[in-house]
Amino acid sequence: MFAPSANIAQVKTTSYKVALPFYLYAAVSFLAATLLLFTSSSTFLIHYFQPHVLAITHIMALGWGTMIILGASHQLVPVIIEGKLYSNTLAHSSFILAAVGIPLLAYSFYIFNMGELARCGGVLVLLSILAYIINLSVSILKSKSENVHAIFVLTAAAWLLFTASLGLTLVYNFTLPLLSHDSVHYLPLHAHAGIIGWFLLLVIGVASRLIPMFLISKYNNVKLLWWIYFFINAALILYIILFYFSGNESFTLLPALMLLAAIMLFIFFCYKAMRQRLRRQIDEQIKTSLLSVVIMIVPVFLLAAIIISLAFISKQNIRLVLSYGFLIFFGWLTAMILGMTFKTLPFIVWNKVYHHASSAGKTPNPKDLFAHKYFKMMMYSYIAGLIFFIAGIFSSLIVLLKCGAVLLIIAAFLYNLNVIKIVLHKRVIK
Amino acid sequence: MSVITNNNPKCRMALVALQNVYDPEIGLNVVDLGLIYQLDFDEEQKKIFCTMTLTTQYCPMGENITDNVKTSLKETFKNYEVELNLTFNPAWNYEMISNEGKEFLNR
Repeated sequence: MFAPSANIAQVKTTSYKVALPFYLYAAVSFLAATLLLFTSSSTFLIHYFQPHVLAITHIMALGWGTMIILGASHQLVPVIIEGKLYSNTLAHSSFILAAVGIPLLAYSFYIFNMGELARCGGVLVLLSILAYIINLSVSILKSKSENVHAIFVLTAAAWLLFTASLGLTLVYNFTLPLLSHDSVHYLPLHAHAGIIGWFLLLVIGVASRLIPMFLISKYNNVKLLWWIYFFINAALILYIILFYFSGNESFTLLPALMLLAAIMLFIFFCYKAMRQRLRRQIDEQIKTSLLSVVIMIVPVFLLAAIIISLAFISKQNIRLVLSYGFLIFFGWLTAMILGMTFKTLPFIVWNKVYHHASSAGKTPNPKDLFAHKYFKMMMYSYIAGLIFFIAGIFSSLIVLLKCGAVLLIIAAFLYNLNVIKIVLHKRVIK
Repeated sequence: MSVITNNNPKCRMALVALQNVYDPEIGLNVVDLGLIYQLDFDEEQKKIFCTMTLTTQYCPMGENITDNVKTSLKETFKNYEVELNLTFNPAWNYEMISNEGKEFLNR
């Protein structure tokens, strides 16, 4: 009657040994970035092209955002592509290369020395990304089903490679004149390829699979996801073309509008998934992730404001640019990670600890592996910190920046505490 | 979706036992979740054949759920051997959740 299509060994998910180091590394990076935010608060009153700001941005983008996404992605890719991860060795290599490369790069930015150390760090990060892309591509090629989520993830990885390659070229360009302009000129290109091509595309590709899954929602709209995919990629390609061939800043409003359309469509997707859910109760972690979806809109409006001020006032508004970058890394990306960590990490550890524990008695649920009290305190501290810091950037008041940074340090500390609590969880059977 | 059985009264007992096996994420048992497709008892060979699915292939909880199903059947029917057949054809969908399961989720 029913065709035997697999045995459990064939549909086994990726080992916890692959994902855990990425999560731990990311947690430490988040804490390090918030500490630097406190010690370097005053640089947020000057300009975004400051050594400390560059160091914090790279710790957040690579150490925090990219590391946790790579960790979760090694674990979730099998669910998304319905196939096994090709190689654990490549995954481990990807971790080691990035784990060594990121601090070298961040430290070089901090002391602003674009010499050997920065180059070495950049090369290691690039090699780590190459290992990830090879692993991902072969996994997708070997899997039976091709789907829109897998295409999102693969395209995002290709943009990450582009971002890292350009980044490394910019590092070299500081000392060897490889490009026609100085490295600062190409910074917006490097930043947007990373933010939109890597983070946005990947987050939407994965979240559009996970959010309906966690909500137990019947909603699925592949056509809508393809439209989102088209808008994001077209916006980025158009932005690159305009960057090279147009001197008129106002034209860049067009890709910004396309981006806004993609985000609005994704919000609509999440709204429909929520409306058609079978599970009435939504847990705190999913609420946090849904909050991050709404936060996505704010940077797009800030981007539009930056473009308008550049096109019509011919002057870059530094506060707007700083708020834009801060809201992307500490706002949208962080809110999404804070929610998704406590949705994915407890499962990874639970599987490790309670593997074959079925006959031993009643086991706790994955959601019982972390302290919900700490989670709530973390969220309050995080939201307050975000508001204070943004208020500090706009008002140029150092006291607000410091208060915001302290609140974010508390949030990062509580996050680390909960991550450690999960990772060190010992078997409890009643 | 109702479970296909060979009308052996033991199938009823087996389903009751499986109602204590939960999907740890959803908090619903595997019977009401619609993961159990078929249960057969072979009295001559003393074997239980269980055909089941998972909500998604490569489900992170997959191994644990199938282990629990096997253990639960083995513990209930100590003299029987359990043969578990995992299938994704047909793939699980939300319509397979029982009315009781839907009620639980809607709470």
